[in-house]
Parts: sequence; structure tokens; C-alpha cells
Amino acid sequence: MNPSIVATIRERVQKIEQMPAIPAVFLPLLNLLSKSAEDVKVDEVVRLVSYDNTIAAQCLRVAASPLFATAQPPKSIKGAVISLGLRRVETILLTCCLGQAFPVKKWVLDPEVFWRHSLGCAMVCRKFSEKLGAADHEKAYMAGLLHDIGLVVNCLVFSAEFAAAMERACREGLPLHEAEHASMGFSHCETGQALAQKWNLADDVIDVIVDHHAIGQSGTAHPLVALVHLSDLLCRMRGLGYGYYERHKVDLIADPAWAILLQEYRALEGVDLARFTFELDETVEEIHALVATVFGSAPASS
Amino acid sequence: MTTVTQPVRPALLPTKSGQPIDPVYRQIRDLVYKVSGIYKAEEKLYLLADGCGRRMKQIELRTPRDYWDNLTAHPDRDGEIRHLLNEVTIGETCMFRSQPQLDALRKVILPEIVAEKTKQITKRLRIWSAGCSTGEESYTLAINMLEESEKLLKGWTVEILATDLNDRSLETAKAGIYGDYALRNTSDLYKRKYFSLVDDKKLQVRPEVKKLVTFSRLNLQDDSKMLFMKGMDLIFCCNVLIYFDGASKTKVINHFFTNLSYGGYFFLGTSESLMKLNDQFHLIHFPGTIAYWKPSLRSGKL
Repeated sequence: MNPSIVATIRERVQKIEQMPAIPAVFLPLLNLLSKSAEDVKVDEVVRLVSYDNTIAAQCLRVAASPLFATAQPPKSIKGAVISLGLRRVETILLTCCLGQAFPVKKWVLDPEVFWRHSLGCAMVCRKFSEKLGAADHEKAYMAGLLHDIGLVVNCLVFSAEFAAAMERACREGLPLHEAEHASMGFSHCETGQALAQKWNLADDVIDVIVDHHAIGQSGTAHPLVALVHLSDLLCRMRGLGYGYYERHKVDLIADPAWAILLQEYRALEGVDLARFTFELDETVEEIHALVATVFGSAPASS
Repeated sequence: MTTVTQPVRPALLPTKSGQPIDPVYRQIRDLVYKVSGIYKAEEKLYLLADGCGRRMKQIELRTPRDYWDNLTAHPDRDGEIRHLLNEVTIGETCMFRSQPQLDALRKVILPEIVAEKTKQITKRLRIWSAGCSTGEESYTLAINMLEESEKLLKGWTVEILATDLNDRSLETAKAGIYGDYALRNTSDLYKRKYFSLVDDKKLQVRPEVKKLVTFSRLNLQDDSKMLFMKGMDLIFCCNVLIYFDGASKTKVINHFFTNLSYGGYFFLGTSESLMKLNDQFHLIHFPGTIAYWKPSLRSGKL
């Protein structure tokens, strides 16, 4: 990519720092998420979640959602940590924080549509990861949640350019990243990368942000990137896309990402994709409800 | 620490009437999927429960558990499953039943087929509505093709073959007279454009629509007749495969595969799938719907 574009992206992303509203727990949380699970203490997570009353209440509401189903929905943060596990509580906290991290005034996309796609992708990544018997389902969730973070950067610092790209995508039914490339010369993958580096996100999550549309080109992508790539496509085909009709077809099994996953996880052979698709539809309504709770204008109760 | 009273998800889903659904219906749902490839998502479970309820009344069983035993351990369990599938798919026939299928057809598939065939001298599109019942699907396809006749399909000949085993259904289909129920998804614009008034309750499809469709009797299990159905670009077969079991189902599906042209598509009902009964078809996702694709020779994917 043109070095001057990279410089512009960097320069504008630096400005995001001046935004006032990032929750105080957000950066410590990212730091916590980058540690391995063995090095994280229960109290540390409980303290972080409890720090902000609004976020704590939201976390509990999310934890009680059928999407995170437990036999008995937790009533306290500590209860949530014990019944859901540290890793899951961390990702729930991340979900809630993200909603507050971007009080974008000039959203180009409908913010609820964006969060439905991100949260939907996170859920599908986790379900997929479970079906494959992968090692860290919460990692998959986090990667899915953050994969399109560059779209928020676009809204914040390239709003006019991004609005033109979005308009073109809707009009021509193009995949969004293609419309971005056609009209801006770069996409949310690059802007997301700049923000992810600024936040010191883990390398594998940065890879997901950068390469989730570029599997075909690399062919040797990390299984996590392949997982997010397929989950993203599936979401966009099942009503959790960017809110417009994408005029294209998707052959997931013939996708290079499928072959990458198959090499890593033999369990993929047994996955009935049609049924997996129908099951995903069951979560769509839940995701709508959850997004309205966490990211929407619904008043937070405490 | 924040404590919030959580809305607890009921373990039993409410039915339309507000009564909770017995979890045994999830077992029945899985059984129905295994037998037919039809998946009733969580929010549609009440439809399954209603269907079971009607059957239980007829065969005088009291509890869903008794009915489950009847479906799995009774000597005539296969017959009972057939009855249940009838109940489950009842009322699914109407004009414009699946808008996502029609969108995929017009926005993605037709442009692809037209581009693929553009070098051929005869511009001919062949569509087969297999198990057309009383003709709603066949005429819906005809109307959609007429809508494209001045655009994408300008200069093309469109043939729609509609077959069914039942002579009475075929007579109704040929008459093309429909009431409110069958027309509940049809827009006023299309009603005015493609139908004429029979009386104050019924509409009849106009001759120009009828002209596109040829109805005939065909048994999908009649191997010799199936050989004559070759060269189809699109096959629609909605909620028909449920009437076949095991080996005959696989055989019918293989016939469909053979009868499709390379690059052609095979559509089932909205929540219906082939499971893993055929590994030559590619499962393709379009926004909001799936279809099965016979790869084109050029794609080298056969």
C-alpha cells in the first residue's frame, strides 16, 4: 500500500487518544486479556469488572443472556467469575467496554448493525471453535468481536471517505472491504491494524484484524484467522451483516480457510454445515436483544 | 459490588398460547432433522409442538413423552413420522413463500447464469419445479422470470416444467385460481399485474404467466422418466424429499444432480437441507438462504 496512506492512517488513529470516553477499565482489561489464563487472578478480574457500576450491571445482564447460557444466571460478579470462568467474564467485560469505548457521533454505519455483526461474529466464532474442539474458545470470541474494529476507526477519522465507500457498497451490493478499497484505497483491515497496534493487542488478534479478508492471497493463514474469516462470511449471509444486500454467493467448504481449518481440526469433517447455519439463525434474535441491551439506548439498571 | 436481578431464561419456551414447551420437543426436532433434513429453529419449536399436538389428538395420546415413544419405539413409527412431517410442512405453500430464495435467484444466480451462457446461440433457461403441488411455486417463478424479461432475460426463452404425482393437485395448478391464503405474500402490484379477478375472493393467474409453465404428472421414483428431465438450469423441490426414505431419497437426489446442467442450482424448502446425502453438490450460501450447486465444468471443482 502507498506509504503516504499508511502514514495518514497512523496519524489520524493517534488522534483517537484524545477521545474522552474510553472506560477506565478498558486498557487494563486489554492488558489482562493478553496474559495467559494461569497468570490471571480471580480478584483482579472481579475488581476490574466491579470498578464501574454501569459496566458491572451490563456484564451481569450479558452473562445472564441465553447466548452465554448457564444453568443458573449469576447474580454477582464473583458468582459470574466462578460459574462462567475467568476467560469468559473477561470477554463479556470486553464486550461491554467496547460499547462505551466508541461514542461515535458520526456513525456512518448504523451502530446497532455494526455491533450485531461484531457480536454475532464473536458468538459464531465461539460456537465454531467448540465444534472443532479448539483449545481456547474465548480467544475465538475475542477475535470475532474485534475483527472489524477498523470500521469504527473509519467512522471516527475517515468519515467522509468511508461514507462514500459505504454508499457504493450498498448501491452495488459489494462486500464492504471491496468497496472500501475501490473508493478509499485501503480498508478497515489497515485502520483496524493501526488501532490494534496502538492498544498493544496480541499478535494473533492483530493478524485476524489485518487478514480476515485476505485468506485467498496468503493461503497459509493462522487457523484463528481462517475461523474468523468463515464466521464473518456466515454472519453476513445470515442476517448479521452490514445491513445491506450483498450480491454474492459464498461456498464456505471450497474456501481456502476451510482447508486450513480442516488441516488443524479433523472434527471439521463431521460438521453438518446446513444444520450449523440453521442453528445460527436461532441466535439472531438473542443477538438483537443483547445488542439493544449493551450498545443500544436502553437505560442501564443497577 | 453490583447485584442485579436477572431476567431468567425459562427452561421451557412459551408457546403461542403462553404454555411452556416440553423439552422433549427438542428431541423430536432432532429426530425430524435426522429423518428429513428439516430443521425447526428454537423460535419455531411451537410450530412443531402444534403439529405434534394435532397428531396426539388423532391417535389419542396424552403427553409429548408418549408421542416420543410412539415415534421411536412403535412398530409403525415410520408411518407416524410421515404423518408428523405432513403436519410440520402444512401451509407452507403460498405464492412468494421465500423472498430470500427469490432474491438470490434474481440478484445473484440469474446474472451468473446469463454471463455463463452468453456465448451460446440459444438463450434458453430451463427451470423445474419438482413436486409442484397446486402450482404456487411454479407461478411465482414464472412471475419473477417475467419481471426480468425486459432486463436480464431480454431475448431469452424461459421454460418452467412443473411436475407432481397427484392428479388433483395438478388440475388445481393448471386452473391457477387462488384465494387470500395462497396470496398472503403477494404484493398488490403483482396482483394487479399478473392476476385477474375471478370473484370477490379469488384471483386467477393471467395467460401470459401460464404460458411459461407446463404442468405434467411425474413420479420422481420413476427412473426411466427421470432420464428425460435433463438440461435443467434450476431445480426447486420444496418439502418433497421428506416423502422418501433412505435409499430412495438418495436415488432421487442423484437424479436431480444428473438432471442439472453444470453450474445449475438446486433449491429445497427454507429450513430443509440435504444433510450429507450427496457429496457432489456444493452447499452455497446466499443472503438469507442456502442452495446446492452443481459446479460448472470450468471451475474444475467436480
